[in-house]
Amino acid sequence: MILCFWRTRSIREETVFAEQEVREIHYIGIDIGSTCAKVAVINEKNELVWQAVKPTGWSSVEIAEELRLLLKEQGIDVETEPCVATGYGRVSVPYADKTITEITCHARGAAWIHQEQDIAVIDIGGQDTKIIVLEDGRVENFMMNDKCSAGTGRFLEIMANSLALRPNELCELAEKGSGVSISSMCTVFAESEVISLIGKGEAKENIAYGIVESITDKVVGQCRKIDLNGKTICLTGGLCECEYIRKSLEKKLRMPVLTSPLNRYAGAIGAALSVRKSGT
Amino acid sequence: MANYVEMWKDLGMDLETHDALCQVLPTAFGDVYLSQENRPESMDFWDMVVADIHGIRPAELIEAQKNGQKVFGTFCIYVPDEIVIAANGIVTGLCGGSQFWVSGGEKVLPKSTCPLIKASVGARLDRTCPFFRIADMYVGETTCDGKKKAWEILGRDVPMHIMDIPQMKREKDIRKWAEEITDFAAVVEVFTGNEIEPEKLKEAIHIVNEKRKALARVFEARKAKNIPISGKDALLMMQIAFFDDPVRCAQMTNRLADELEQRIQDGASVFPAGTKRIMVTGTPMAIPNWKLHHIIETSGAAVVCEETCTGTRYFERLVDESRETLEEQYQALAERYMGINCACFTPNTGRIEDILRLAKEYNVDGVIDVNLKFCCLYDTEGYTVEAALKEAGIPVLGIETDYDDADAEQLRTRIEAFVEMLG
Amino acid sequence: MADSKEKMYYYILFDNYTQGMALQGYLREAKIPSRISPAPRCIQGELGCGMSILFQPEDLERVEACIAQHQAEYHDIVLLENQINPRRNRFC
Repeated sequence: MILCFWRTRSIREETVFAEQEVREIHYIGIDIGSTCAKVAVINEKNELVWQAVKPTGWSSVEIAEELRLLLKEQGIDVETEPCVATGYGRVSVPYADKTITEITCHARGAAWIHQEQDIAVIDIGGQDTKIIVLEDGRVENFMMNDKCSAGTGRFLEIMANSLALRPNELCELAEKGSGVSISSMCTVFAESEVISLIGKGEAKENIAYGIVESITDKVVGQCRKIDLNGKTICLTGGLCECEYIRKSLEKKLRMPVLTSPLNRYAGAIGAALSVRKSGT
Repeated sequence: MANYVEMWKDLGMDLETHDALCQVLPTAFGDVYLSQENRPESMDFWDMVVADIHGIRPAELIEAQKNGQKVFGTFCIYVPDEIVIAANGIVTGLCGGSQFWVSGGEKVLPKSTCPLIKASVGARLDRTCPFFRIADMYVGETTCDGKKKAWEILGRDVPMHIMDIPQMKREKDIRKWAEEITDFAAVVEVFTGNEIEPEKLKEAIHIVNEKRKALARVFEARKAKNIPISGKDALLMMQIAFFDDPVRCAQMTNRLADELEQRIQDGASVFPAGTKRIMVTGTPMAIPNWKLHHIIETSGAAVVCEETCTGTRYFERLVDESRETLEEQYQALAERYMGINCACFTPNTGRIEDILRLAKEYNVDGVIDVNLKFCCLYDTEGYTVEAALKEAGIPVLGIETDYDDADAEQLRTRIEAFVEMLG
Repeated sequence: MADSKEKMYYYILFDNYTQGMALQGYLREAKIPSRISPAPRCIQGELGCGMSILFQPEDLERVEACIAQHQAEYHDIVLLENQINPRRNRFC
């Protein structure tokens, strides 16, 4: 939930756009992730007209309703406008005309944001991490972590909690640290490792460094199992605004890793674009 | 499953624990099978069998035992049913496809054993499977390390005969398997008190061949453009084939095949036109393991073929019926069985050829290569399988899973994404 | 068959599967849509047979007529709310 805190500021700023063109058709994409729910609206010219993010909370159904009301405030009626839902809570959006997996949506969204059809996407989400390889704008291959939170946003969140930090603070701090490595892949064990490091009086930035290293090691390990084929890499999902994570990935992959403030909306944007593609 | 309580009691089963399984089966079967539209009518037989899976067939086996027949429980499709049938014995599959039995197996086996082995051992030790109570003898084999060691534990509880499966497929390995079959025949003769004669073995070979042909007919029908039967139903037919009387199995299966052939002519299908065709390759799916098929077929795709031990490996290729002497017949059996391409062999290029051939024959859009967690052999071979399919331009998704429900949603996301990728 | 919760279904229960298969044969002949289902636990009681026949409420009259015509044996007919949910993700 804390992850969402990073982007809440943008919601109000963007509302201005929607009011300018109320009459046109809106394509709604809704991405209900395990931690945050995102909504993106595009127009007939494939331009992004509005986006927002909200904590998912404990119920996908409730957040879907909340997003419906938010859209209504923007003058967008989910009953009349076409809508695609994605993310793990995709089946809980009663007004969606169609559901598409977050893998396809992140791919489409990332290709749109970066204007690049041959791209590899690293999506670090709340509960899973996916590597998606695109060829001509289509998903050519993908891989997803096993049922384990190592290398995901949840891992970062839990570790940040034990250091009494917010995830973004942990990332900033990590850049100043060094020397510590967290050896446990299991989140539960890693947490006790962190607690024992705190007990030993290890500097916070060094522990933070060890935590980020653990995440990026795991993600890079996943990347090694899939042929990235020298494609441009971009980072999407909740952790994409964590500059140090991006840098750490870049260093370990020995390749540039792109991101942008819109990348956390890649899934929702991809869903909105899919409305048009599928002719819903 | 109620009227069989006395029978289960006589079998020394743990009724209370067994009842927990009886409770979940109707729900799972309803969700997976009865949610389907436009199923072939002939599936009635299999629906009935499942509804009383621990009742009807076990009662038949007990009746046969009263008439002096011996029941052999087997775990692997390398064990030749023909030998047992020739000695007037009965072969039955054993329970091993449910999470329900896993914890019982984990009492004596490492957690890192594949769920099929854990469930089999658990079903026996916890006394919750009638088939495991009924069988007079258990026939194990040396297909993997997990099984080899599990037999030593299981063997303390039940009479076991182990067949030593070769690791390679050279001429001398086939000869060796013929020797193993000869030894097995001697054991079966002593155990049943019936001599195996060439005439009887010839008849047994014919019976099992007819069953293979019937199963193959159903699979042949699945190649049609309008898919006449769901993958789930075909899987159920295969799973029950391990338990049923081989003659009745062939008869019911042929009846199903008749209906499917008619449906093809009528253009009847279980799926909307354009549904993506998936082949599943990898580890066996023992009853009631329907998880992967159900997720695939509720994610916008259809399973049209299984290259597994509960699929094509079970029935492809026939045993030569023309051999006259026992020695020649054992050799013929060895030749047919050694043609099964299990991941326990090295090299196992035959399996890759099978997969590429089947992908073409069944006109598949993609392949899902699945291995049960901790099955080192299929997991490792998955690399070669995926590489070969990619080279052939056939999309493939590798999946590792077990009987647990916990990964169902995540599997759904992966499989839906894979299907979206195909579209 | 639909998976909406509100939908109701009838289950015909039997004392043994021979009764059940006989009736299913008659229903097939009469082209009344029905499926063999393991009897849901909540209505199985101490009954002798695990199999039941599932049919839709709109076919009740036809089913009863078919039973009468063939004097088919059965134990009971029970109306039950939908038990089927393909999205439940509970496997055996």
